[in-house]
Amino acid sequence: MTGHRDFDQLAVQSRRSMLRALGGGMGSVALADVLASDSNVVAAELSHVRHRAKRVIQLFMNGGPFQCDLFDPKPLLEKYAGQRPPAADLRTERKTAGLMPSPFRFEPRGESGVPVSELLPHLSTCIDDICVLRSVHTENPNHGPALLLMNNGTILPTRPSMGAWMSYGLGTENQSLPSYVVLCPGRPVRFSILWTSSFLPAEHQGTYINHSETAPEKLIPFLRNETRSVEAQRRQLDLMSRLNQRHLEQRADDQQLEGRIRSMETAFRMQFAATEAFDLNQESKSVREEYGESHFSNGCLLARRLVERGVRFVQVYYGNGQPWDTHNKHNESARKLCLDADRPMAALLKDLKRRGLLDDTLVVWGGEFGRTPTTEITEGAGSGRDHNHHGFTMWMAGGGVRGGMTYGETDDFGFKAVENPVPLPDLHATILHLLGLDHERLTYRYAGRDFRLTDVSGRVLDEIIA
Amino acid sequence: MKSSGSYRSVHWITDRSIAVAVAMLIFVVPQMVVGSDVDFRRDIRPILSDKCFQCHGPDAERESDLRLDLAESVLAQRDGVAAVVPHDVQRSLLYQRITSEDVDDRMPPVDSGKSLTPHEIDLLRQWIEQGAEWAGHWSFEKLSSPEIPPGDTDWSRNTIDRFVSQRLSEAGLTPSPAVDRRTFIRRLSFDLLGLPPMPSDVDAFVCDERPDAVERLVDRYLSSPAFGERWGRVWLDLARYTDTTAEWLNSTGQAWLYRDWVVRAMNEDMPYDHFVRLQLAADAMPDVAIEDLPALGFLGLSPTYWKELRLSPDVIKRVVADEWDERIDTVSRTFLGLTVSCARCHDHKFDPISSEDYYALAGVFASSQFADRPLLPEAEAKHVMQAREQVHELEAQRDKLKRDDTEGRQAIEQQIAEIRKSTLHFDAVSAHVMQDSSIYVVADGPDLTKLEYREGEARDLPKFERGNPASDGPVVERRFLTALSSEEPRRLQHGSGRLDLADALFSEARGLTARVIVNRIWEQHFGKGLVRTPSDFGSQGDPPSHPELLDHLAAELIRHDWSLKRLHREIVLSSTYRQSSVADGEGQAVDPANRLLWRMNRRRLEVEMLRDAMLAATEQLDRCQGGPAFDLQDTSQRRRTLYGQIARRDLDRVLRLFDFPEPTSHAPHRVQTTTPLQQLFLLNAPFVQQQAESLALSVSNIASEQEFVRACYRQLFHRDPDEAELAEGVAFLSTEGDRIATSTDYVHALLGLNEFLYID
Repeated sequence: MTGHRDFDQLAVQSRRSMLRALGGGMGSVALADVLASDSNVVAAELSHVRHRAKRVIQLFMNGGPFQCDLFDPKPLLEKYAGQRPPAADLRTERKTAGLMPSPFRFEPRGESGVPVSELLPHLSTCIDDICVLRSVHTENPNHGPALLLMNNGTILPTRPSMGAWMSYGLGTENQSLPSYVVLCPGRPVRFSILWTSSFLPAEHQGTYINHSETAPEKLIPFLRNETRSVEAQRRQLDLMSRLNQRHLEQRADDQQLEGRIRSMETAFRMQFAATEAFDLNQESKSVREEYGESHFSNGCLLARRLVERGVRFVQVYYGNGQPWDTHNKHNESARKLCLDADRPMAALLKDLKRRGLLDDTLVVWGGEFGRTPTTEITEGAGSGRDHNHHGFTMWMAGGGVRGGMTYGETDDFGFKAVENPVPLPDLHATILHLLGLDHERLTYRYAGRDFRLTDVSGRVLDEIIA
Repeated sequence: MKSSGSYRSVHWITDRSIAVAVAMLIFVVPQMVVGSDVDFRRDIRPILSDKCFQCHGPDAERESDLRLDLAESVLAQRDGVAAVVPHDVQRSLLYQRITSEDVDDRMPPVDSGKSLTPHEIDLLRQWIEQGAEWAGHWSFEKLSSPEIPPGDTDWSRNTIDRFVSQRLSEAGLTPSPAVDRRTFIRRLSFDLLGLPPMPSDVDAFVCDERPDAVERLVDRYLSSPAFGERWGRVWLDLARYTDTTAEWLNSTGQAWLYRDWVVRAMNEDMPYDHFVRLQLAADAMPDVAIEDLPALGFLGLSPTYWKELRLSPDVIKRVVADEWDERIDTVSRTFLGLTVSCARCHDHKFDPISSEDYYALAGVFASSQFADRPLLPEAEAKHVMQAREQVHELEAQRDKLKRDDTEGRQAIEQQIAEIRKSTLHFDAVSAHVMQDSSIYVVADGPDLTKLEYREGEARDLPKFERGNPASDGPVVERRFLTALSSEEPRRLQHGSGRLDLADALFSEARGLTARVIVNRIWEQHFGKGLVRTPSDFGSQGDPPSHPELLDHLAAELIRHDWSLKRLHREIVLSSTYRQSSVADGEGQAVDPANRLLWRMNRRRLEVEMLRDAMLAATEQLDRCQGGPAFDLQDTSQRRRTLYGQIARRDLDRVLRLFDFPEPTSHAPHRVQTTTPLQQLFLLNAPFVQQQAESLALSVSNIASEQEFVRACYRQLFHRDPDEAELAEGVAFLSTEGDRIATSTDYVHALLGLNEFLYID
């Protein structure tokens, strides 16, 4: 027996000795939590600050809409049409030429009189609930990195997404549904890295659902078991749970094993909860009509159904790929996209309000960046607009945000944020704050360092909080 | 504020400045060693790259003369001042600027979002004070021949272990204990074969007292035909393999010929250099066997994008340029671990890759087109290809005829039938290959565009200014990357230049090429690479955790004629590989990410392994190799998952659920997720239920419940159940009701256990 003397030496560590290994990440502590409470809510009820919002819906206009078409009117574009004054000589991803005015008219809307574009007739009736952030900016004009910045706070594909941080910080209100759901009728660029839990426990990652088909069993593959009764399956689950727990105990703390154990339980409950939650047919005809019939309509309505059932964070990506990426024939596309998006967005806000959910549901709208007021020249013979990370509009509604206001300004041409600029860490800090989480204290020890969504910056925008 | 005691997992640090300082300290020192000396590669270059190169980097259009990626520029005097004067921070302009009190003067500019942290500034100060030692980016340097450190001689089995244990002891860590034989054979079997070990093999190995029992097992696995199936799939991820190409190509090629070629090459241990050369340029190599032509599927199955010929040439030129870009991206990331396609519109911001370099390579792909090559001797193949071309043209004519022109239609059908009949081997199986032929996008009248092919001709491309194909700059001769050439870059001039390119990978770039493939293989065995960004060895990538070990293995690979099986053998026979995967104790406290390899990483089965393991465990697996793909939705299929159909634009849902990479582009490695949707598959999919049932039936003649439980554990987990597991099983089985259904439920539950899904 000389060849394998060192085999068979692996002593199974006692649970106590595993738990003693503190300081080596939170896995051991989480294990204690799991064993003590059998809860999949790692940090529920965690609350640093007084808060209003309990959940978030993000309407993600992937591709990047043009701010001056929608919420940031810039009459000077007309005057300088075709020209490229020094202020408009900013570098973006591709080369652009002179300024191209937006052909869309603005009117002051609501009691607040915040101007909204004619492209959004429905949404403009909700403007008194909306806080328009006109001066958001980010660092990178490429889709992939910009999507990562918006979702994960960094261009590194190795950090947890905002939704994972929320789920980690707040847990779930509904043990039968995932705490973080991502809806997209297709796939946004960079795909699953945008909702990754990275080094946070795996159960906090977003559950991606392609909702281009809406029958629950088609939305979610293998949602139902055709042959086994619920009781028989529950027995299986109980057996698995006990055997998995023994397996885990023999393997110290392992995030992946723990995450999967909880994931299995979520899956079991999801069969029933999801069938109900994802069934749009349970909505009345009038509600269906109010939202409309497109993929985005269904996404918005599903989002409402999910937050109503306690899902913490629902992201609705507007469409497959990057539909708002109008390098070509921008005006035509913008008209078409708004025609589709306007109605369901307004329906969502009104519906949440009617149900008393808008007070504690934060709705966030925007793309990964905006677009240039100058024309794209590499494509489409000057009819398109390039990516613009220097300054763009996002809006928030509900969840403790002041409605009927604008915050920050871009320059005369809507190119660059110049007044009260909002870098993404500020946006993230504010969203977390509205949820009761202090972005500087929502940290996670990993590889010897306390990581956080906002890394080393971030300021809560107190000015927009009601 | 409310803070509950049970949430210790959330670490509060109220003093923000401490948090920032601590965070930064750890962040910029990816390796565990914090020495008193500043190391340029480890400490300084990452700062310069992240915070400065954007404006002071390789991009020729950068905003400043000063380049902080080149020692000459950093030390050069400009108007009597130098950015860095070694040993003298006061006279180093760089230091003055980064510490300037004047906000307008301070670098990086305050509004760039790239401000330096106090710790970074301090590192730069120390570096200058210590003499501002400079070193090139590690991966561009020639392979070093590192001295093999003493390491822990008792523990070390081979040189890998000496490198690893040396670093561990420097960090005050010890290796984890070795695993037992059952754990080892399961790990090894999945690693080398992608399959669980056969229960009989486990028993034999556990009892094998010969001193070379492990070596024998490794050698047996390395020579198993299943080895190529497992490792071929690893390669196919990089090659963005698909079974279906775009419908507008009307291709008659059979993609699986490429897949099967890769499997065979892995099984035959084809030297890596030859393996790569064939994939890039088999058509240009002398004396290539017909069976090796499908190697060209690496390029021949590349994604294509729709070219709407009603659009202007400028638009179509961009689509065509997007395709070249995809090839450059795949080739440069797969073989060199470089993101060359970043240089399409401007010089690479971080790595010394210019736009000229990019267009010098793009010319190679502008001179290479897809072809369907019947696997016949050349003369016959040509004949068949011509006949097919004729048929294709006739079909196009036929389809243009009016609906009611039956006569015309029949006449053409007749011609087609004759050609088919008179051409011997007309239906011979064809591979997706490449041929030398250059493409031009030209106007076709005022409203249309056409694609012109010039067979046998190569073309050099103009540099497209800002990546815009409508704005031609000077023509760039096809040549290899400057940064990887010590002299004048090699010209890629024979035919399209593909073979020259392949040659360059294995001469001037061979150090990098070798490091990249070594790291990929290491990553598959350990779950993580020595470099954790396997397709980015550039300055934005992750530096290697064990640079000397990586260089040593790369040099050994070259020295042993690029034999990958030898490398596998070396790795799996190491003590490093035998370590337990349990994460606790000192290692977990000091190095939770396991960069120093104080333990094995626990891994989840990949989707192929999961499905194959279920089929193998229930003895349903059909080991028949090769041939056309089957539909994965067809639950009666029993072949290995490798042979399931990969549709580029419509990936199978189970593959998608379990993190199969998008075959639309090169996938550096698989990203693992854990979602409830995966568990729904395991709970509810008819496929899983079928496997459970078939195992339940195969052991149903066993009289006692205890024996049934034991049989299941041996079959699925290669071990006996312990008392508690036995009791659990017996209790589960001893319920009223249909016995087959209960035992199926039991097996089904076992198939869903972590023990089944994870490799320790």
